Amino acid sequence: MTRAVAWIQQKWSRSRWIGRLVLLLSVFGPGTIAAMADNDAGGVATYSVAGATLGYAILFPLLIITILLGITQEMGMRLTLVTRRGLADLIREKHGVPVSLLIFGGLFVANLGTITTEFAAIRTVGGIFHIPAAPFLIGTVLIAFVFITRGNYKLTQTIMLVVSLFYLTYVISAVKSHPDWNLALTNLLYPHGVQWTERYVRNYLLIGMGVLGTTITPWGQFFISSFAFDKKIDQETLKYSQLETYWGAFLTDFFSFFMIVATASTLFSRGIPLTSGEQAAEAIRPFAGQLASELFAVGILAAAFMGLVIVPLSTAYAFSEFFGLSGSLDSDYQSSKTFYTLFMIQLVAAALITAIPGISLFHFAIATQTLNAMILPLVFYYLIKLASDRELMGSHANSSFQKSFTAWASVLIVIASALTVAAVLLGW
Amino acid sequence: MAFVSELTRRPVTDVDGKRIGVLKDLIARPVGEFSHPVVNAIIVDSPGGDRAIPYSDLAALLSSAIPLRRPLKEIAPYELQEADIRLVQDVLDKQILDTDGARVVRVNDIELVRVNGHVIVSNVDIGVLGILRRIGLERLGRWAARRFKSDLSTGAISWDFVEPLVHDQFMRLKVPSSKLAELHPSDIAEIISDLSRDEHSDLLHKLDLKQLADTLEEVEPDFQANLIEHFPDEKVADVLEEMAPDEATDLLAELPNERRQGLLGLMERDEADEVRELLKYGEDTAGGLMTTEYIAVAPDLTAAQTIEHLRKAGEEAELIYYVYVVDAENHLLGVFSLSDLIVAQPETPITEFMHKRVVTVELDTKQDEVAQIVSKYNLIAVPVVDTENRLHGIVTADDALDGIIPTAWKKRLPHFFGARQ
Repeated sequence: MTRAVAWIQQKWSRSRWIGRLVLLLSVFGPGTIAAMADNDAGGVATYSVAGATLGYAILFPLLIITILLGITQEMGMRLTLVTRRGLADLIREKHGVPVSLLIFGGLFVANLGTITTEFAAIRTVGGIFHIPAAPFLIGTVLIAFVFITRGNYKLTQTIMLVVSLFYLTYVISAVKSHPDWNLALTNLLYPHGVQWTERYVRNYLLIGMGVLGTTITPWGQFFISSFAFDKKIDQETLKYSQLETYWGAFLTDFFSFFMIVATASTLFSRGIPLTSGEQAAEAIRPFAGQLASELFAVGILAAAFMGLVIVPLSTAYAFSEFFGLSGSLDSDYQSSKTFYTLFMIQLVAAALITAIPGISLFHFAIATQTLNAMILPLVFYYLIKLASDRELMGSHANSSFQKSFTAWASVLIVIASALTVAAVLLGW
Repeated sequence: MAFVSELTRRPVTDVDGKRIGVLKDLIARPVGEFSHPVVNAIIVDSPGGDRAIPYSDLAALLSSAIPLRRPLKEIAPYELQEADIRLVQDVLDKQILDTDGARVVRVNDIELVRVNGHVIVSNVDIGVLGILRRIGLERLGRWAARRFKSDLSTGAISWDFVEPLVHDQFMRLKVPSSKLAELHPSDIAEIISDLSRDEHSDLLHKLDLKQLADTLEEVEPDFQANLIEHFPDEKVADVLEEMAPDEATDLLAELPNERRQGLLGLMERDEADEVRELLKYGEDTAGGLMTTEYIAVAPDLTAAQTIEHLRKAGEEAELIYYVYVVDAENHLLGVFSLSDLIVAQPETPITEFMHKRVVTVELDTKQDEVAQIVSKYNLIAVPVVDTENRLHGIVTADDALDGIIPTAWKKRLPHFFGARQ
């Protein structure tokens, strides 16, 4: 792995400005952080599967997803800045215990799935470097625990930087692989250029849900709100924060677009199916050449680690908001114990699931993201309801466009979920 | 005894047994010196809208159906008053301040008891059982608790210790009563970190200078800066003078340069100079962590003279347990502890019992290393010297260890994502 790191250093050292640019790109506001974390290892896996299996046609949902992501993230941010409450706080205060338990339960399961995807990615990396799975997974759990207890901003920044650079390799690879730009860009507006066989349509639905579920996540909705609350962002900077969330949404799907284009033009067009990490690494070969596998491994490892820390954190945050176990000096040990237990349970359970032989990262990623997408309408329902509440939000309540766009999108997601479940169960 | 969660949605019936609606909320108000609020009225959700019915017109409240005493037509609606608390709307599911445990908690249920014909609010339930009761699983919870021999009764807090945070849209701390003033500064700090800006600025304005300074010393510097952002400069300068110089420096380091210079100008000269000196060093180095309020004496003193000196100078120092011996140019010659000093004969020169091999750190030693040294040698403080062994200050053990002991987890996240930008 050190070879790859040295290679990155050498490759970038002459163009320091790129590093600065990346730093500039990620002016770490909540919107950008949530957006970057949305493209975790599960995200990379999902986009890779999407591009490899479906080609450019799967780019179509991306535009709508971006708008929906921007609108809902902004809603969560505005809700928190105006009411000075987290999303989970408000759900609990306005809708009581049963609803809170239901949503937390869904969030917990979905997050566990997401964390498992991160571990599956780590196992895949282990496979590329021929490291045995068990010690690698245990090591990761321990490192994540140390990170959460002792980590600092500088370290996070480094990880974020590695991840951003990794995403950039997709952008460059996409350009270097000479894709059919006309086909790619027109597919953003309407899906075309493929054979709509029954099998293709079924995959399109399933993977399309996966793409939605990895980009707009239930945990992301809670995270941005907890984060805005905890960083104590001012209401005066509402305008800036709104812009920043839209920027974050754009950034997420800017990278998603190039990941799909890169995999589509390298794998789909040559008919290579995606089953292993080495194949997924093919997508960045146009840029990375000989080192494609190593670079892919380092990048996805960083992306997985980022998700591994942020997703369980968002569960713990939501738990503390829903059930009010905030810290106190008297029970400092007690409340940290609750937090660490919750954090570790998720990590260990996910690591154990990953250790089950025969679980493929790519299949698991799609399944988890689909589950994520299915929980979304429930979260959206309360998000819209709260952010449209004039009594609560005053003049900052949702505009009718924000309200109806999200409501219609939720209806569409519900229909698409139903179709996907039917397609899987009935084996269409 | 009854719980609010059980009473809500219960039918309210007229004198002829006709159902007029369901119970939606309970209105309670503290009476006189008695700290537990007394239920004065209920709000009924009826087809014609909400109605507030006085408690005196109810034949019973803690029963499976709530019958009226007089025909509905004859009842004058209850007028809400300033001090009234709506138990469901204002307290249930909301956060309250538990002044006994000094923490912000969420109310899962509210317990009512009947006393002399009145119904009063006795406790709030913040435990797991409260949650289970809300979803109809209380008995399961109790069974499981017996089974696993865990104690679930810890969830009740007496209303004596409750300070409702609610009242209007954005929870606002009710004027902190004497209860708050009695809290330890680190408890106040902990509570503040749980509150939103409007609430904590309310709270901070209620504290006197000394309390404010002590409280600020207990929170992280970046958060300190946030807290005092809207305070007038004169007040901040006064607070800074109250604070230990090293803490004041940390706070100033977080502020924009312009405001920092302004504040330094407003502070008293001596204090401002000390802070200026400390500001030169990096935040996480010994120079940045150290305080200049230590005790140093000349080598020609005797034990008795030193004790005399301590009586006068000890007030100002952050720590008097160690006495440092320095020459005219402030070169560090030795150190002795208070116990060394006390057991020595009064006329013994201090050079006879001082330790000449002093463990020191340099101005630019990293915090991690300082912490290691402090714990390795079991020191309460370690002196900070420059390359020529001149004493500049001391780092106390708590300041050295502060950065490496994991703090409350909620404070961790901002550290990952740029609170220190």
